[in-house]
Amino acid sequence: MRIFGELCLLASFVGFGYAAFACLIARHDRWKHMAGIGVNTAIASTQALTMTLAVLAWALVNKDFGFEYVAQYTSRLLPWHYCLSALWVGQAGSLLLWTWLLATLSLIFLLTARTDSRLATTSFGFLSAIVCFLTTIMVFAADPMKSSLSLQSEGLGLSPLLQHPSMLIHPPVVFLAYAAWAIPSALAAAALCSGELDTRWIQLARPWAVFAWTVLGAGLLLGAHWAYQELGWGGYWGWDPVENGSLLPWLTGTALIHSLMAWRHRGCLKKSALSLAIGTFGLCNFATFLTRSGIFSSVHAFSQSPIGWMFLGLMAVLLIGGGTLVFLRRGDLSPQRQLSSAFSRESLVLFSACLLFLLTCVVLVGTLYVPLSGLFVGHMVQIGPAFYNNVLMPIGILLLASTAVVPLTRWGSAPSKGQRKSLLICGLPALAVPFLAACCGWRHPVALAVMSLSVLAVCTTFAGLALDAWRHSTTRHLFGVFLMLRQRRRLYCGYAIHLALACLAIGITGSSLGTRRHDADLNEGDVVEWSGRRIEYSRLAQREDEDKLIAEAELRVSRGGDMPVILKPARHLYLLQNQWTTEVAIHSTWTADFYVILHAGLGEGRVALTFIENPLMHWIWLGGWLAAGSGLVAIWPARIKRRRQGGQLRNARQSIALAPVRRRAA
Amino acid sequence: MSPISKLAVAAAIMAGSTAYLAYLGASTSWRYYLLVDECVHSRDKFIGQRLRVSGRVARQSLALSTDRSVVSFVLRGQQSAISVSCKGPLPDNLAEDMDVVVEGTVDEHGLLRGDKVLTRCASKYETRDGSLATGR
Repeated sequence: MRIFGELCLLASFVGFGYAAFACLIARHDRWKHMAGIGVNTAIASTQALTMTLAVLAWALVNKDFGFEYVAQYTSRLLPWHYCLSALWVGQAGSLLLWTWLLATLSLIFLLTARTDSRLATTSFGFLSAIVCFLTTIMVFAADPMKSSLSLQSEGLGLSPLLQHPSMLIHPPVVFLAYAAWAIPSALAAAALCSGELDTRWIQLARPWAVFAWTVLGAGLLLGAHWAYQELGWGGYWGWDPVENGSLLPWLTGTALIHSLMAWRHRGCLKKSALSLAIGTFGLCNFATFLTRSGIFSSVHAFSQSPIGWMFLGLMAVLLIGGGTLVFLRRGDLSPQRQLSSAFSRESLVLFSACLLFLLTCVVLVGTLYVPLSGLFVGHMVQIGPAFYNNVLMPIGILLLASTAVVPLTRWGSAPSKGQRKSLLICGLPALAVPFLAACCGWRHPVALAVMSLSVLAVCTTFAGLALDAWRHSTTRHLFGVFLMLRQRRRLYCGYAIHLALACLAIGITGSSLGTRRHDADLNEGDVVEWSGRRIEYSRLAQREDEDKLIAEAELRVSRGGDMPVILKPARHLYLLQNQWTTEVAIHSTWTADFYVILHAGLGEGRVALTFIENPLMHWIWLGGWLAAGSGLVAIWPARIKRRRQGGQLRNARQSIALAPVRRRAA
Repeated sequence: MSPISKLAVAAAIMAGSTAYLAYLGASTSWRYYLLVDECVHSRDKFIGQRLRVSGRVARQSLALSTDRSVVSFVLRGQQSAISVSCKGPLPDNLAEDMDVVVEGTVDEHGLLRGDKVLTRCASKYETRDGSLATGR
């Protein structure tokens, strides 16, 4: 079985190399026929890669310790679903999964794009080259099919910290996002190489960019959720280098999606869009370098490995190559129209893109501060969360402000009279709500600003929808609203994502400004009054599972006249690894999370506990899921008939819109 | 003033303010990041400074209090070692022979008084050298 998997891996390595060569050479008319051969080779190679993945998954679930990888990450008592999750826990397995996802997405891309299009074929050639690069690393440096040196009767087991439901989903979701970002990047490179710099590449790249953005956002959220529940420190984001690594492509990806819109509607921000498409995938490779090079300290696992440097090399090739191509094509990338107003929608897009770029630079500098200071100052210096938070706060508020006003702006000119009037009306509740909050005792300026802008965002979204419906339906306005939501689904999904950003801002502000903490050593039967809650510690229970010992404190928590809630914070001792883990207990409501950590048993039922109150945490998860859901609805394909009609309409609209420009050029 | 000029002025103000805020944040939160050997050799220079020291927990040196609030161990570098006493939240997977980063200050006796320990667990992407061969 192992040999079969190894042969399949080798076959896919050779196959993708050939597919890349064939698809790229097919750009020339003389070698046009090579495209079909290249695509067929890639299909066969993807099947071989699927076989390799299936062999490793089978070995993991069946605990075949003849595979070194299986012996390193599983054990006899490990449940099957965690055995399967070991597929993305180790170096070689995660690379295999990423490669397979990229190969599969590349084929889906080719099937959904027109296969006879030269742009799609060239892009597919670039994608095959990236898959070939990944298989090369597996063949020569991180072989998932490697055999164990000696006969193993038991494996080393999975790290207890990774035995959490979020870990079943978080890593594959992030790898899926990294794989998906390769497609807009390949399309941008193909468009630059071929000179086909019309809006066709945008039509192909946009859904993939939105998909990748949505999936990466969901991955970040799942990672934050895992950290919040499993690491037991009461927080969800620590500005850790690896977290920052995944945040960077999400930030540039956000700027990319908006730049693509500006290009499509107004023919501007072309160089930015192409650079961001290539740069975002470059940053995915940078994130991989951070995780696998072992040069940074992090709560994430690290080891010294040469593999990380290969990804840094790929990133350098992408950035230098992409930058050179954009420079060489600069003549074809000049804007079709100049900015007509500082308050038009494209100006707002440009403003937001600049803010996101600034934030990216700050996060990048903060992440690289340790090696850069070592290089330039002589001593390595690390900077703390204050560095990031100082910048995030004003930029976040400016971003929230721009998302709040965007539904009442339009492409190509300043807001209309109706839009300006609506904006003034929306401003009233946006001022009234923080004023009332201030009267009730809320005094923090950041909290009041976020509150005001969130209310403004909700009001402007509904006002924009009402204006649209009014304009397009003369009799039945409610039907008009429904019609608008259906016809402009993508636009309103975008606005829903903006509202999700407001939810995130509310949650982040609340949990950052209002967190409270209390440590207590309690005996059985002790009662503590804290933060308006009555906390009664009932008992400490101990029990034994197959693979672990469990110590669990039982607390009855009540607030006001509410029914008491039973919370059971625990500590688990994993016998195979001889390692303790903290299992926190959380009682979540819309106003706050009550978070309890059991640190240790002190003998005779006495325990050391920490209570944390994290306000508005629910809003973070709500915002995340709203953004993910809206992103998926936005990329859901329209019915073919409607899409064709829409395409014809759009083409007609574009030709009308571009007519004055053409006339002027003539 | 054209829209482009207005946006350029806004961008310049934004970039300047961001750089200033980043500088303020960095100046209040920075600390040296040292290896054990650097910390031991230039100890006098770093006394009282906020440091992060990276090294490996020496075998048979780890002592944890019952409530897991205090820990002491020897942090080993390539050529030298430093004693560590740490009070504060400790990671669950803290163990001997493991790469860790300790945050704290060095006193005049050469003791690193930490308040935070970060583990660099080697189990996720690569198991520790030799652990598989011995069939641990």
